[in-house]
Formats: sequence, structure tokens, C-alpha cells
Amino acid sequence: MTVTSPFALEIGLGVLVLLVFLATLFARGDDRRAIGWLATIGVLVVLAGSFLVAPASTVPPALGGMFVLDGLAIFAKRLFLIATFIGLLAGLSSTDPVFARRSGEYHLLVLTSLLGMCVLASARDLILLFLAFELMSIPLYVLSGFVKRDAIAVEAALKFFLVGSVSSAVMAYGLSFVYGAAGTTSLAGVAKAFAAGSPLLVLGLLAAFAGFAFKIAAFPFHMWVPDTYEAASTPFVAWLSVAPKAAGFVALFRVYYEGAGERVVAWIPIAAGLATITMLAGNLMALPQQNTKRLLAYSGIAQIGYMLVGFAAASASGTAMVLFYLVAYVFGNMGAFLVVDAVARFEGSESTAAFRGLAQRSPLLALSMLLFLLSLGGIPFVAGFWAKLYVFWAAAAAGLYWLVLVGAILTVVALFYYLVIAKRMYIEAPERAARIRVAPTLAIALLLCVLGVVVLGVYPKPLVMAALRVATPLF
Amino acid sequence: MVADAVRFPLLSVITWSPFIGALLIMSLARHRPLLVRLIAVVTTGISTVLSLWIYVAYDTEAAGFQFYEKLSLVPPLGISYELGVDGMSLLMVLLTSIIIFTGVFASWTVQTRSQEFYALLLALVTGVYGVFCSLDLFVLFLFYELAVLPMYLLIGIWGSSGEVRPRGIFAWAFRETGVGTKEYAAMKLTLYLLFGSAFILVGIFALYVNAGAASFSFLDLEAITFEFGVQRWVFLAFYVGFGILAGIWPLHTWSPDGHASAPTAVSMLHAGVLMKLGAYGVVRVGMGLLPEGAVDLAWLVGGIACINVVYGALSAMAQVDLKYVIAYSSVSHMGLVMLGAATLTEAGLNGSVFQMFAHGVMTGLFFALVGLVYEKAHSREIFKMGGFGAAMPGIATAFTIGGLSSLGLPATAGFVAEVLTFMGAWRSDHRWWLWPAVLGTLLTAVYVLRVVRQIFWGPPSPHFHDLVDARGPEWVAIVVLVFTLVLFGMAPGLALVPVDTATVPLLARIVSP
Repeated sequence: MTVTSPFALEIGLGVLVLLVFLATLFARGDDRRAIGWLATIGVLVVLAGSFLVAPASTVPPALGGMFVLDGLAIFAKRLFLIATFIGLLAGLSSTDPVFARRSGEYHLLVLTSLLGMCVLASARDLILLFLAFELMSIPLYVLSGFVKRDAIAVEAALKFFLVGSVSSAVMAYGLSFVYGAAGTTSLAGVAKAFAAGSPLLVLGLLAAFAGFAFKIAAFPFHMWVPDTYEAASTPFVAWLSVAPKAAGFVALFRVYYEGAGERVVAWIPIAAGLATITMLAGNLMALPQQNTKRLLAYSGIAQIGYMLVGFAAASASGTAMVLFYLVAYVFGNMGAFLVVDAVARFEGSESTAAFRGLAQRSPLLALSMLLFLLSLGGIPFVAGFWAKLYVFWAAAAAGLYWLVLVGAILTVVALFYYLVIAKRMYIEAPERAARIRVAPTLAIALLLCVLGVVVLGVYPKPLVMAALRVATPLF
Repeated sequence: MVADAVRFPLLSVITWSPFIGALLIMSLARHRPLLVRLIAVVTTGISTVLSLWIYVAYDTEAAGFQFYEKLSLVPPLGISYELGVDGMSLLMVLLTSIIIFTGVFASWTVQTRSQEFYALLLALVTGVYGVFCSLDLFVLFLFYELAVLPMYLLIGIWGSSGEVRPRGIFAWAFRETGVGTKEYAAMKLTLYLLFGSAFILVGIFALYVNAGAASFSFLDLEAITFEFGVQRWVFLAFYVGFGILAGIWPLHTWSPDGHASAPTAVSMLHAGVLMKLGAYGVVRVGMGLLPEGAVDLAWLVGGIACINVVYGALSAMAQVDLKYVIAYSSVSHMGLVMLGAATLTEAGLNGSVFQMFAHGVMTGLFFALVGLVYEKAHSREIFKMGGFGAAMPGIATAFTIGGLSSLGLPATAGFVAEVLTFMGAWRSDHRWWLWPAVLGTLLTAVYVLRVVRQIFWGPPSPHFHDLVDARGPEWVAIVVLVFTLVLFGMAPGLALVPVDTATVPLLARIVSP
């Protein structure tokens, strides 16, 4: 059985959102965590359903070319679904009474945001793109301040919301220029106008770029990241740190590659510059962090910088390598956050000191953290190594040797702060001997991340090939 | 070649045997320290016996890369698992085997978490073998990383912090870094070496992209003549990248800290083999693939090597911590290695490779002995110790022989290496290189003899009682290393014949590109 409707996954998700909504209406009592199971399993079903969709080439564009289900879209959607599944699964075992009572709201918001991401991945029209972007973003603001009696969470959410709204406004402003110059909102039309070379169009796209840079948390649009990550609940942050970033990159590909047509090389200097300062700033600011979530927040900014290196290559291989990087990042970064969650739940502290002697207390947990850190650091035989390597490779093939050198040297800086955590876990002696208990669902989520990091590290080829296949039609 | 391909994969067995040992140790030998050591001895023993075997079986008439194996890994990108040894790598493989085999015995007394210690040590050795055997640059890089990374945990967990702390302005400047502690040394070493690997990676990519042949194979790339501009900067990248591991001044500072803080076997392996890995990389990859770049930048390589020789020796003279003396002597001797290579003459290059071997064995011996002395006396401070010769005659004798080789006494391996290097320097385009090299040897005599006299043959120190000589498995390391040192000093042809078959074609490419 194959599904040929381009909207199949969105319809599926929409149904799931309604189901969760209904379940919330009829749920009773203070413990409504069962709704979480409904959402999690639902996401898994939609993920399985994504493999029934007919091959990308046979699904016709819908809404007059506004909405496409090409290889890139389906690749990205599967990525969002996997990330969401892991994030929701890890959150199921949360013992926080707020989450138990308001489980319906929480999952409804996550799923709505996911729906926004999925639409975004298919959008080939500026208006639809912007709408999808907002559908994705607004639930995120609410989710960051989910624990509304916690002043810090509310502050972080407000910061996120204000900066996010301003960047959305700048993006809309920029896109209005684009419309003015191109006379159309379809990306194919924009590409035609771009080839003609209109300064107004370039100005508009640059302004819009700021909006995208905010969403993927590139420097200097990153300032919401550390505070939001620190204040929000960890399984949500694990998801927030990967899924919307991936969506942002897909949107970047759509607008700046598909919307630029032949003259795509025009973006290379800007993207390379942004990559450089993002890697530099993220890595340097991560150095003094003592709180693991803040540390991972800054390291995440640096990771975005590395992906921008691939984006700067402005080639099919560069795009494919960013897609591969995103997958590796989903597993590595979510995994690291989930270990932080496991340790923090038990120790009541998110500081790096809580990791002292973890290798002797819970060897498996320590080993998985080490794997995630090595993956983020780009060390051979885990996924992150290939990710960095491929991204650098694409940049080198585009002649950006200096960018490769800067990136490669900064990975050494990054390894310093990753190794600091490794040192806490492996070299320092534990303060307490108690083994850290990990809730079963969290353990499964962690296991999935470990599997992802290791399997991709040992055998990256199929995914690389798949990424190359979906990236090639963009150019 | 075809006949070789279907033969028993000797090089793969040599390379992976320790790694399998590491896996066995992790899975079978929990809380069974004797079994851990047994597995380590057997698996490194297999590698050692086989590397002796290939050393004997290597056909010096045919020369070139032998015991060739190839397995395609990622065909579209031209990555393959391709192994082969020529005369130069042959000697390095032998060196690695000798050092790890003796290192396993030298660390017999490791008590804490010995299971993990041996597993990491063996995994690291697989990386070292892999670098020396690999003919595919990409796989070489993977092995290189494997050889570097376990070092962090090995030093961080099992290392020792020095007793001597910086004073005065240095203490102030380094107040927050924890300089002198094992954690500091581990972090510094790892970051320096990974910093180097960044340059190597860029260099490898540049070759791959510029060659346009979709192959990482050394043999394919060797056939391509790169543009002069590319050769220059890529050679520089390889020189910096591999050179950091070889301890080139001023990027050598990780080495004294790292070697002084590391546990015995790790110091042996690191100073004895891993630093050679850097020099080997510069010669094999840098000079082998980029001959014009090498000629153009020989003045830089040689000039910095001269600084290394003298600066390392002077620094060694100033140390009061025994391990730091040995560590700085490595910096000085690695200078001689690089100097010999930079001369681009047959004698110099042979001397360089021979020095890699001689210094590897010698410094392995030194660190093994220092480890034993430390274990028995619990001190590394030279001027606290004295008159140990009476209590530990075996260790004292071995140390003295090592010292004599270090300063280049005839009939030791060190002598052959130094004479060849001097000859090479004299015949090179930069004749003045001879003088720093000779000066370095003189300074070496000063600091080595000073240490030997103070610790072993001077008046007894009142601080120590009940010292004992080496015993049991510890003798294995001492005897094997001293024997090798003297054997190759008496019969240098054992090494020089195969080495010559590798260096002559290399030079032929450089002289007539």
C-alpha cells in the first residue's frame, strides 16, 4: 500500500493533534501522563506511515506548487518525527507534578510545533513558509515557560518570545522586499528574479536571513539559547535543541538554494562568515560554563556553526553533508541532554560537578555520555566524526580551505570542554557510591541515541548516500 | 603483489591483535588482574613475533611495499583499507613491538583499574601499528586519532603529578591551570595533538581534492606531481600537524609535561613510539608526496630542528625532576631526527630513521627504569636521590648503558644514528647545521652523566632505605631493551639495509621530481 497524497503526514499529525485534544478534554484526575503515551505512540505511527509514502518523484506538487513532497521534505520530516519520538519518550517518565497534570497541553503544543516543522519542510512559497515557521515557533515560546509559576522559566520564555517575535518581524519585512522585487511569492519566481540581479531582492533575502539565523541560533542571534535551555525542562530542551534547528536549515536550503537558482554562489561569503563567527563564539563561550545545560547550549551554537560550514559550500554535497550532520546532531545532542536529565533527576544538580566519578557509579551511563560527547566533538568511530569530516570535505571541495582550517582548529577548543566532562566522569572520584537509577522510558530513549551515534559512526554510508540523493535535485 | 594479496594477512594480524586483546580484556577479565596481564602478553607477543618475522622475511632485493593487503571500504570516495610496509615502516613496526611488549611487563604493578588500563593501552597500540602500516591516508588518519585519544584517560587516571611546582613569576602566570598535575598534562597533550591533527586533516583533503583521482591511496598520490604552490602549503600543513607530535619547537611543550606525568608504559610508548609517528609522518607523507615542497622548506625544518637539539638539551640540564630530564632529552633527540630528515641526503635520512629506532628503544629503556626507580624510591627529584647503584645494580647498569647510547658512545645504537646525521648535515646545503647538532651531543653528555652520577654512583642519600633491585617480570623489559640497544649498535646493518631500500627511492624523487 502506498500513499500518494502529499499531505498524508500532515493529515496524520493533524488527526493526532485532535486525538490528543479530545483525550485532554475527557481526562480526569491529576495524573494525566497516559496522554503522553498516546502522543508518543502516535508519533511513532506517523513515522512508520512516512515509509508508506510513494517515492518522492511520483508525488505531484500541490496547491499550485506551493507544497511539495520531494526527497528533501520527506527526509526532513522523518528526522523531525524521530527527534520528537525520542524527546517525548524521554519525557514520559518525568515525575514533575506540573507535567503530570498538564500533560495534555504539553503534548498538544509539541505536536502542533511538529506539524509546523513538517509543513515548513514542504513549503516552496514564501507565505506558506512564513506561516509554517510561526506555527512551529509559537508553541515553542509557550513550552519554554511551561512551568508558569517558576520565575526563571517565565523570564527565559519571555526573552525567547521577544527576540523571536522581533526576528519574525524582520523576516517578514525582508520577505516583503523579496515579494516587491520578484512580484511573486513562489520560490521558482524568486530564483528567476534573483538571476536578473535585483539589489532590493538581495536586501530582502539578507533581512530574512537574520530571521532564519535566529531560529537556528547562529551568532549573534543566539542570546536566547542558554537562558531558555537552562530554565526549561530537560527532555523538552533536548528536543528544542535539535528539531527546530533542523527545520531552520531545511528552510534555509529552500529559500537560499532553490530561491537563488544558478547564482547560489552569491551566498558563500555571507554563510562562510556567519559560520566562522558562530563556531568561534559558541566554542569560546562554552569554555567557562559550569552548568551542563548551558555548556551544551553553547556547544550547540558551535555545532550550528559547523553545519553552516556545509551550508557555505553551496553545493549538493554540502547540503547532503549538513543533512547527515543534522542526523548525527539529533542523536548526539539529544543523548547528551538526556544523560544530563538522568543525572540531574537523581542528583538534583545540573552542574558538571554532578558528573563526578560517574564511570564508577554507573559505567553504562558514563559510557553513553562519553560517546555523545565524542560524537559532538567529532572523534572517529562515532557519528559526529563523519558529520564534521563530510562537512569539511564539502567545504574543501568548494575551495574554502581557510574555513576548514578554522573549523578544525576550533574542534580542539570544543574538545577541551567536552573532555572536562569526561574528566569529571572518568578521572575524578565519586562523592557518593549510589548507582544512578534511570527510568525505563528514558533508558530506551538513551539507547536509541547510543545506537544512532554508534551505527552511524561505524557504517555511515547508507545515510550519506540517501542524503546525497535528496540533496542533488536542489542544484 | 598479486601473490601477496592472497597470503596470510600478516600486517592485519599485527595491527589488530592488541585490539582484540583489549576487547578480550574488557569482556573476560573483570577483577582478574593476572588474566588481564596474560592476555596482554599473549596478544602483544603475537604482534612482536610476527613483526620479527616480517622483518626477517622482508625481501630487500625487491624493496618497495611488501606484505600488501587491500580491502575497499568506500569505493566511490576511494577509501580503502590498504596496508603495506617498506624498509622504513618495517623498522618502526619492529620498534613498536619491542616497546609495547616490554611496556606490558614494565606496567605489571599497576594496581588501580588495571583492566581498563591494559585495554586502553592495547587499543592505542593498534592505532600506532595502523599508522605505520597504512597506505591509505584516510585510514592512516583514523589510526592516528586512535593512537592519540586513549592517552587522555591513560595519563589522567593512571598518571602521576610532579612534586616540583613552578615558582616565582611562572607560578603566578600558571596559577589557574594546575600546571604540573596529571590532569593538566593530559589535557594539554590531547589538545596539542588534536590541534596537529586538524592540520593533517586539511592537508589530506587538499591532496585528495587537488589530485582529482578520487583516491586516498599513498601509491596513487605518489604518482601525481602536485603544483608547486600546493606542495608548499600542504607540506607546511603536514609539517606542523605531524611535527607537533614529533615535538618540534616551539610546539613541543606538551611533551615534557605529558611524558613526565604519564604512567611508565605510556611514557615508554609515547616518547618511544608516538613521537616517531610524527617524524615518520613528515618523512613518509610530507616528503614522500610533496618532494618539491620538502626541498623548498628544508631550511625551515632543519633550522627548527637545530633549535630543538640545543634548546631541548639546555632545558634537560636545568631540570631537577628525573622524568622531565628524560622528556626534554626526547625533545632534543627528536630534533636530531628531524635534522637528519631535513638534510635530504642518503646518510642524513638513514640516520634520521635509525635515530627514530635508537631513540625509541633508548627512551623506552629510560622511562622503564625511571618507573622502577620511582616505584621503589617514590621520588623523582634528582637531588634527593643518591647512591642507588649499590642497592639496585641491575637498574644502575642498564641506566648507564642507556645514557651512553644517548650521548652517542660507539658500539651503541645512538652512535650510529648520530654519526650518520652528522655526515648528512655536512653534505647538505646547510653545512652549519652540523654545529648545533654536535653541540647538542656535548650537552647531552653533560646532563646524562650528571644524572647518572648523582643518582646511581654518587654518595648514598640519607632519605632512602631498603631499596631493592628490579625483580621478576620487570627484568624482561630491561634485558630486551638493553640487548636491542647494543645489538643494533654493534650491527647497524641489520636496520640500515632495509631502511636504505626505502630512503633511496624517496630521495630519488626529491632530487629529480
